[in-house]
Amino acid sequence: MTQYQKPLPEPSSLTQPFWDGVKQHKLLVQKCSSCSKLRHTPKPLCPHCLSQEFTWAPLSGQGQLYSYTVMHRSPAPSFDGDLPYVVALVELKEGIRMISNLVHCPLDKVRVGMPVKVVYEDVTKEASIFKFAPA
Amino acid sequence: MKDLLKKAAIVGIYQTAQTRAFGRRSSEMFIEVVKGVLDDAGMSVKEVDGLIGPNPLATEGEARGFPSTAFSEFFGTHIRYTQQTPAGTQTGSMGVLHAVEAVAAGLAQAVIVPNVGGREGPGVVGRDEWESPYGLPRVAYYGMMARKHMAEYGTTSAQLARVAVIARKHAALNPAAVMHSRGPITVEDVLDSRMIYDPLHLLDCCIVNEGAGAVLVTTAERARSLKHKPVHVLGLAESFAIMDLYNVPSLTATDGRGTGQDAFAMAGVSHADIDVAQISDHFTINPIIELEDLGFCKKGDGGPYVESGVLELGGKMPMNTNGGYLSHSHSGGPGIYDIIELVRQLRGEAGARQVRNASVGLFHGVGGMFNSAHTAILARE
Ligand SMILES: [Zn+2]
Repeated sequence: MTQYQKPLPEPSSLTQPFWDGVKQHKLLVQKCSSCSKLRHTPKPLCPHCLSQEFTWAPLSGQGQLYSYTVMHRSPAPSFDGDLPYVVALVELKEGIRMISNLVHCPLDKVRVGMPVKVVYEDVTKEASIFKFAPA
Repeated sequence: MKDLLKKAAIVGIYQTAQTRAFGRRSSEMFIEVVKGVLDDAGMSVKEVDGLIGPNPLATEGEARGFPSTAFSEFFGTHIRYTQQTPAGTQTGSMGVLHAVEAVAAGLAQAVIVPNVGGREGPGVVGRDEWESPYGLPRVAYYGMMARKHMAEYGTTSAQLARVAVIARKHAALNPAAVMHSRGPITVEDVLDSRMIYDPLHLLDCCIVNEGAGAVLVTTAERARSLKHKPVHVLGLAESFAIMDLYNVPSLTATDGRGTGQDAFAMAGVSHADIDVAQISDHFTINPIIELEDLGFCKKGDGGPYVESGVLELGGKMPMNTNGGYLSHSHSGGPGIYDIIELVRQLRGEAGARQVRNASVGLFHGVGGMFNSAHTAILARE
């Protein structure tokens, strides 16, 4: 098996729990302990009520393709073999949006608004990343 | 506020040759634009007491941390007012507006605003852990904005292409534009160019080039005895609301809604009064969204609007008459070239691309991934 060449997430102490969740095939986002609003990407305080207290809440992993672009030029040689590939902005049911790739979908079937669900790829022994596929 | 702003005037503009070849030292370009803008205005460097922007001469030792002090030493003047205005490609143009505010408030007598743009760093994969694993450079967001606009409003690739066609038509009339010698292009040329970030083709993307520019602002009183008719800022507004595109309410609307309204209100002019406009065009989708946000057409009607002919020379409000970032220059903080072009138009010095009797101009720019927005309305005296 060839070594995984693409960039891997390099979490900070604030984002480590998110990527630990992905490793366990869960999508965890911050939930404000004061006003209960969800937020992503991880931030040290809630923009709605300024509380610094939060817990990690699991998302359903289901959502829709909010928008996308098909990449015909790659930003690094490690992505060259994937061209053309889909970079997706996914809106999850809970209202949270995430950047990812849309996989397992022929390019001519990709549509804004299509239902998608999270899939996980254990790309190395240590790291997993999340992607989305047609639901 | 308008009366206060009119106490300041833009009196000097200068840009170096904008070139696709890279290699000039930024310090050399910096010296050229400082001398050039002073010469354009007819002012002495001894009068300059304000600097807004970088000083590429201040690269060593202590000077690195004190670019304005180093400016005083290098140019034999005395800087008493300085500030930095980081706002991506709009750093220079926002600097000009802040210079107008400072001079109008009496905090400085003459402020120089330089912009120096050399080669961009090597292509960076994403900004961090949220993007780099997925293989998107940040500019690919514009592909997603274009796709969303198409899905929501039925905007077509041909409409996007029209923005590039207009920019090139104007660049073909501007000898200073990087793409001047390439001549005009058609919608088909854009659609036939290589796909980059679908739906954006190569010709939907701005150019990458080297070059520098500068603007000089002084008091309205001093302006009376200088070389050119002064240009005033009648209204301005800026906004810094969006950092994380995950959290924007919409991918097809920007802060320009607020800055446009505020700038028009401050200037006391209406959309119909604008004779010429510079609208930041990093990608062809940008002016479509920005013109909607500014209220020149209804949200969603940007596609048909750019096809209407209004925005081309001969139309009611020619846009990006220098060729824009798509065909003139996208070096450093290219917003400064938007200001320079409006001043040229308002002075009546735009040659083959002159908009007849241009007396009021509008500039609107976004920086980063719609991370900042600012609008300014300029007028000749
Ligand atoms: Zn809260």
